[in-house]
Amino acid sequence: MDNLGELLHGFTIAVTMPHLLLMVVGVLLGILVGVLPGLGAPNGVSLLLPLTFGMQPVSAIILLSSMYWGALFGGSVTSILFNIPGEPSSVATTFDGYPMARDGRPTTALATAFGSAAFGALVGVILITFLASWVAQVALAFGPAEYFAVYFLAFASFVGMGGAAPIKTVVALAIGFAIAAIGIDTVSGSVRLTMGIDELVKGVNFVVAVMGLFGIGELLVAVEEEFHARAVSSRIDWREVFRAVGRLPRHGVALLRSAAIGCWMGITPGGPTAASFMSYGIARRFSRRGRYFGTGEVEGIISPETADHAAGTSALLPMLSLGIPGSATAAVMMGGLMIWGLNPGPMLFVDQKDFVWGLIASMYVGNIVAVALVLLTVPVFAALMRIPFVIIAPLIVIICVVGAYSVSNSYLDVVMMLGFGIVGYLFKKLFYPLAPLVLAIVIGDKAEDAFRQSMLISKGSLGIFFANKLVTCLVLAGIALLLLPLVLQLVGVLRKPATGSTVEEKVTI
Amino acid sequence: MISRRALELATAILTGGFGAAVVVSSLDNGIGWSSAGVDAGTFPFLTGIVIVLGSLYNLVRGVLPAATLASVPVAITSLELRRLAALFLPAAIFVAAIPLLGMYLASALYVLAVLAIPKHQSVPRALAMAAATALALYVVFERMFQVSLPHGALAAAFGF
Repeated sequence: MDNLGELLHGFTIAVTMPHLLLMVVGVLLGILVGVLPGLGAPNGVSLLLPLTFGMQPVSAIILLSSMYWGALFGGSVTSILFNIPGEPSSVATTFDGYPMARDGRPTTALATAFGSAAFGALVGVILITFLASWVAQVALAFGPAEYFAVYFLAFASFVGMGGAAPIKTVVALAIGFAIAAIGIDTVSGSVRLTMGIDELVKGVNFVVAVMGLFGIGELLVAVEEEFHARAVSSRIDWREVFRAVGRLPRHGVALLRSAAIGCWMGITPGGPTAASFMSYGIARRFSRRGRYFGTGEVEGIISPETADHAAGTSALLPMLSLGIPGSATAAVMMGGLMIWGLNPGPMLFVDQKDFVWGLIASMYVGNIVAVALVLLTVPVFAALMRIPFVIIAPLIVIICVVGAYSVSNSYLDVVMMLGFGIVGYLFKKLFYPLAPLVLAIVIGDKAEDAFRQSMLISKGSLGIFFANKLVTCLVLAGIALLLLPLVLQLVGVLRKPATGSTVEEKVTI
Repeated sequence: MISRRALELATAILTGGFGAAVVVSSLDNGIGWSSAGVDAGTFPFLTGIVIVLGSLYNLVRGVLPAATLASVPVAITSLELRRLAALFLPAAIFVAAIPLLGMYLASALYVLAVLAIPKHQSVPRALAMAAATALALYVVFERMFQVSLPHGALAAAFGF
């Protein structure tokens, strides 16, 4: 356990007054960019980067990674309060977080999300601490076939769920795949599905689709139901924050399972988005209250949030140990590493022990600082729910418009966002499920690329998906998850024939 | 007043149309197997086919007087339709005005119009909120994070 000794040394570097201050500043800025639409951790990190050139590399990475934690937490705020997920990985949080907030429990929803996110991040850091070298090897074992198998697993765990009319689910999923394919095809380099609009070469950004589908779509559904006089708790109750966090251990199984899924998806480069969707899907299937998911269930918030942060944290490891950035933010940070004169890669652990272990120690401390700060802000954010609908509605429209525009400075994106809003409204009204649609938009083209690359390697033989133990296990697990609902349904039909399918339709996301 | 059936039909036609467009468009990229592996158009082509077939199924189900659909004949009442329009039309006008007026002016006018015209707020308060919205956008995006929002053709004409 010489790792432990190194870690303790790392703490002596991370826990100093200047570094703690940097963490507070970083986290606060991170929360700000996380909450604001269209801005995300990559914006914040790139803006702060020039400021860090004069700093010690350790201080610089502490500032930037704290900002990253803050942004991760902040991203959940808008998902829960306004149904606008700021980043792909917090989409799954909206499924139960928003209904709960709308139900008059925004404080509980936010506190639960932050608490479970912190737990997930902690598990991720512990994993990094003890399994750094092993994890690096696993990531290296991943070829296109394994990538595809991981994405397949994520789809399988999420899509097979009952609820919506099956054909509507299939249509939603296929539309998502088609939207993901728009733009330049990364395998062949050719331009696809632009339908005569040249600007579509850049593709349809996920944020644009989600702001419309969830933000505007939800607004249209809400205005129709006229919930302007919602009785949201008029008084902010501080104790509710702690009560919600205190209730978390009761959902220990969900926490541990989600953290495990998150870590696994973070190391295998499935990423936080696939992790959160998969965790939600599995929780919905195995929870005793799975039927109520989508109506504001606590475990429906815990599962995606824990997995998201566990994956986000453990995904930093490939960046450090292999020099492969797992996300846009990590890519910007890696640029920073090089400017500070450090070379990411296996040698970093040998040459720059102080830096690496200082960073890992700062992940522990930084996350504690972040969760403390973010819990303090819960009442402030929860108060936003008390603003009357007539005022908040135009503000949400502006948030979505500005967010869609600032993704790539494109007016076409704004128009498309509005179009997605109408689609979101129609789909919601007619019980088409939105979740498979979004999941396909986010990881559809990656899955397709992985599949085609494996086909190139194997010269068209599907045998590549059963070529070694790792990929075979992944594929078999995916198939099992796909077939499970069918089997369960069959068992259910045999047990008690035809009972209320109307209830099922209601809980569809 | 819009019936559930009409809404189902319209949506099925919308998705089916998108599917058909995807199928046609993907043919340009080639479908099948070539020296470069699976052609770029293959997956979009297949998804397009799936969308079209699924939409046809939904279309037929929407026309047939199936039990679940008959139980909710009305999807949107005329009152709800008016509320929807009251939210969506100003938003659409706001988006349409952005290229001319720019993000700041358009959003300020949008807030002002939505709050003051239906008399949700008094005119001075609505004015204050409109100004605050534009100012907040400017400070946060243009100043703090150096993300440039569109200034509009009008501002360009005056040399901004």
